[in-house]
Formats: sequence, C-alpha cells, structure tokens
Amino acid sequence: MISDRLRSSLKREFRGSLLAKLGLVLAVIIVLMAVFAPVLATHHPGATGQFDENGNSYPPWGVSHDTHMWEEGEEGMERVSYTIEPSAEHYLGTNNIGQDVYSRVLFGARTSLLVGLIGTGIATLVGVPYGLISGYYGGRIDDSLMRAADVMLAFPSLVLAIALIGVFGAGTQLIPDPIVMAGFAEGMPENAVLPGTVTLVVALVNWVWFARVARGEAISIRSEEYVKAARSIGASNTTILTKHVLPNSLTPIIVLATIQVAAIILLESSLSYLGFSGTTLSWGYEIQQGQDYLATAWWIATIPGIAILLAVVSINLLGDWLRDSLDPNIGGEGGV
Amino acid sequence: MAFGKFLTKRLLQGAIVIWGVVTVTFGLRAASPGDPVNLIVDPATSPEIREQIREDLGLNEPIYVQYIEYLRDLLVGDFGYSYQSSRDVAALVIERIPATLELALAATVVAIVIAIPLGVISGTRRNEPADYGATLFSLVGISTPNFWLGIMLILVLAVQFGIFPTGQRPVALHDALWTFATTLHAGELLTWVRHITLPAIALGTYFTALITRLTRSGMVDELGKPYVTATEAKGLPEVLIRYKHVLRNTMIPIVTVLGLQLGTLIGGAVITETVFAWPGLGLRLINSIYALDWPLIQGILIFIGVGFVLINIVVDSLYAYLNPRVIEE
Repeated sequence: MISDRLRSSLKREFRGSLLAKLGLVLAVIIVLMAVFAPVLATHHPGATGQFDENGNSYPPWGVSHDTHMWEEGEEGMERVSYTIEPSAEHYLGTNNIGQDVYSRVLFGARTSLLVGLIGTGIATLVGVPYGLISGYYGGRIDDSLMRAADVMLAFPSLVLAIALIGVFGAGTQLIPDPIVMAGFAEGMPENAVLPGTVTLVVALVNWVWFARVARGEAISIRSEEYVKAARSIGASNTTILTKHVLPNSLTPIIVLATIQVAAIILLESSLSYLGFSGTTLSWGYEIQQGQDYLATAWWIATIPGIAILLAVVSINLLGDWLRDSLDPNIGGEGGV
Repeated sequence: MAFGKFLTKRLLQGAIVIWGVVTVTFGLRAASPGDPVNLIVDPATSPEIREQIREDLGLNEPIYVQYIEYLRDLLVGDFGYSYQSSRDVAALVIERIPATLELALAATVVAIVIAIPLGVISGTRRNEPADYGATLFSLVGISTPNFWLGIMLILVLAVQFGIFPTGQRPVALHDALWTFATTLHAGELLTWVRHITLPAIALGTYFTALITRLTRSGMVDELGKPYVTATEAKGLPEVLIRYKHVLRNTMIPIVTVLGLQLGTLIGGAVITETVFAWPGLGLRLINSIYALDWPLIQGILIFIGVGFVLINIVVDSLYAYLNPRVIEE
C-alpha cells in the first residue's frame, strides 16, 4: 500500500529530523509503559496502604468513585490525607489516599492509549466512508450528509462529549490482562479497564473531521482521468470507491489520524479531569484529585500532567514527521 | 447580486443546522434514562403531586407531541425553567455570558499579542536560537492540557508566590470600566486584571502556540515570493516589509484556521472556568450536567450551538465579500 517513493521520503525526513526521532523514542517508551504497567509498577494502583479492622485494604481496591477519605473529627466528618512524599518506597509519592502515584501513572497510560487508539479507529471507520460517499456522489446526497455533519460541528467536541456522558453515564469494560494472567505480575489487578462509553463518545464527536477530509479528497479524485476510465469500462461505483478513491485518499487520512490520537488523548484527560471517565485510573482524574492538595502535595497534580504532555508531544512530533514527508494540507479541531 | 444569493443560501443552510442543533438537544433529554420528576421533587413526594408535575411538563404526551411543543416554545423564546433553581433558563444563560466572553477575549488578546511577533521573528530568523526557542514553545504549547497548565499556574504563581489569586471573578469588566470612567479609580479594574490573568494564560497558551506556528510557516512561504525581492530592491526598510506586506498576506490563512478553532476556544473555556471557578457559561453547563438540570443543559447547548452557526455565517460572508472567488465554488 505504501509506495517506494513514499517510503524513501519517510526515511529521508526521519534521518534529517532530530524531533522525529525524539517523538518515536517517547512514543515507544509510553507504549511500553502501558503494556508492561503491571510489571513495572511497584504497588497495586488501588492499594492505599490503609487497612480496616479485618486486615483488608481500605477503601476497597478498584475504581471507587469517592476518592477522599473521611474520619470522625471534632466537627463531624473531616477529610483526611494520607499523602506520602516521594521516597525510595514511593518513587513519585502517593496521592491523598495513599495510592502510589508512579504506579497509577503507569496504569493511566493504558487508559489514555486505549481511548486514543480505539477512539481514533472508530472515528476513522465511521468518518471516512461517510466523507467518501458524500464527496463522490455529490449533489443532494452531499448536501444532506454535510448538513448532518454541520450539526455535529456546531458543538465543541468537549461540550458535546460532556453532554453525552453526563446523560448516559460512563460505563467501563474489564479486559483480562494477559501479563497478569500468565503470572508475571503477582498481586496486580487481573483486568485492564477500558472506559467504553468515553471511547465511543470521543469517536462520536471526532468522526466528522475524518468525514471532511475524506470528502475533500473524494471530490478532487472523482474527476481524475483514471476514475473516468474505470467508469467507462463499466466499473460500479462501489468498485471505484473502494479500489480507486479510498487508496488515493489515504495519505491525508493517515496524517489526520495521527493528530487525532493526540487530540483524543487530550479530550479524554479533560473528561476524566471533570469526573466523566468512569475510571479513576486516568491521568486527568489524578490531576483533579491533586488540585485540592496543591499547597501540601504538589506532585499529585504535577506528575500525571507531565505524562499527558509527553504523550501528546510525542504524537504531535510523529504527526509533523508524517506531514512533512507526505505534505497534505489538513487540520481539525485540537490539532493543526 | 451574486453575494446576495450566496448569503441567502448560507442563511438557509444555517437554519437547517440550527433545527438540527435543537433536535439534538431534544433527543438527548428524550433518550436519557431516569424520571425527570425525581430531579425536581423529593422521591418521597406523593404520587398525586408527581402526576401533576408530569402533566405540567407535558411528559404524558406522546414523544412527537412533546417535540412539537418543544419547538413551539423555543420559537417564542420560552426556554423553560431550571429544575434546581426554578429560574428562567434564558436569564440563567444570559447572566453568565459576559464572564465567558471576557475570558475568551482575554485569551485571544494574550495569544495575538505574543504569537504574531514571535512567529514573525521565528519565520524571518530561521534556524537561529530564537527560531528554535519559538518552535519548541509552540510544540509544548499545543500539547499541554489547558486545565493542567491552569493548575500549574495556580501552584506556582498563586500558592507558592501569592502573586495572583487562585480564581474567581469578584468584579465584572463592564462594572470595573464604569467605575473607572466615572470616578477614575482604577482599583476595580486592577482587581479584574489580577483575577483574569491566570485563566487567560491557561486558555490562551494553546492558541498562542498555534498562531506562532501558523505565522512562522506563513512568513517562510511569503518571504520566498518575488514581491518581497521587489520591495527589497525598492529599498523599503526591512521592518516595513515584514510587518506591513508579508504579515498582511500571512493573516488570511491564520484567520481561517482561527475560525475553525472557535470550538476549541469554547470547549477550552468550559474547562478553564472549572479550574478557576470562573463564573461563566461553561461552569454553569458542567454544574447543570452534574445535576441533570435538563432545561438548563438544553438552553446552554442551544446557545452555544446557535452562536457557533451564526458566527460561522458571519465569517463565511465576510470572507466571500472580501474574496468573491469563494462564491464561484
């Protein structure tokens, strides 16, 4: 699918660009962090180091929603903090309920990458056919499909996403973790958490960018000579769309998809900061939790933000490299 | 004449999209699980009163009747009453608009004031330290989550050094300006500036980075064109060439992209307002969703959606007016 000319252009740009190399190294590190989180982590991401009278961890491990601890004080229930400073036991300290920040940042990488990659995948699968059909057929079909897309564009991604999740709730799915199942990481959670609703919602609010780019490509490709030739020998519209229009519009779609992974990771972190993600194992959620403890424990909010920043920088660097190699003119909300 | 036709077509399209926006907001409520009556009264309320509320809200009608009544109410400007505060939704929306506008404008001003000179310097001194610095800044700027940047600003400038307050908006800009105009006391105005500085930086950094990038690449493209050589040959001062001729031609793509990024600005304002407890429309939206206050959610969504559509029509029309070739397409 990738032509030799393209491959050599990618290689040439990569060799000449320090930034492209940096982006690739960072991206590989973050993917490894996410995949091997249970092995690299020093603590169970839910473990608070606190125990109830029966010796069980308190509060119960997992994705509980009230992540503040309360104790009977002089004036009724008071919020208490079990924060521990960064040390040899806790590399990056603990959060307000005593959970290890280093381990939680590792597991948080999974949430960001899962939502970013699967969300972008779904958005591509919906948006590209939609845009290709709209641009290829033109006329009334194009008009009505594009008006529907305009309705989506009338709402900022974040606003529509918040409304959808606020209404339908944030469901999560548990995926068995092969590394833990195979016994390589004793005492780690057996399941990885996929915030399913959030993944669907970010795809739903971002597919329209793929539709716009695909439509623009289809409009310019449909008048090319080879498409006319194919039509003249009796090729069906479906054949022309899948065999000619789609392959020739892939370049800008790939670049857009790269940038959209970064945009969706940012969107997911915003949603979880606002408490709409359904899992507490998320960088954005960790930042929200740390905001109340800035004066006493700066690391809770600071560290996960650096993780988001590095993840998004690395993807943007890869996107720049692809764009410089392939040079299409595209944009989209959240990434230019 | 062609422009009149263009405007008519664009307005018709806009009307269809606004109808779509309104339908989406209706659909969201209709699809949401849960009984709205529980959001208005205590679950222990007697069945008779609950039934009365259902009747008053029209919830016993078939869905298409509810939809038609919803459209009819909106057409006469009736947005309903908030479940929580029982106040008129239109008033609840309107009273929050100035705060959000102040924030969006302040962020845009921060972005333009920093980004344009930075982009020009970066584009005219390629591969010099200033260019590397600007490029690095814009890369980090477009990759930083604005809510985290806001929290870091609070951590350093508010909590550690106490230079700026951590948030809130004790005085409105128009009130501060009025005080200044009538009494010449700048105290309120300074308070306003102190409070909006951190939120404006948090929201504006992404756009600063974006405009720096666009200005730089635009300058690089334009500087290679023959007219630049011609003006240089005429002996015009370099500053004049850069800022008057080259920058002007660079502005067209910048304005176009900024129009497309309006959604990011509004979305960013929602979350920035949350970080800084800035009492704008975004903060109200978040709180209304936490409370599932449907009439208020719908009112804010319609306001944002319709505002977006109208601004786009104005931008497109300006663009077509200045650049008649657009109409041909």
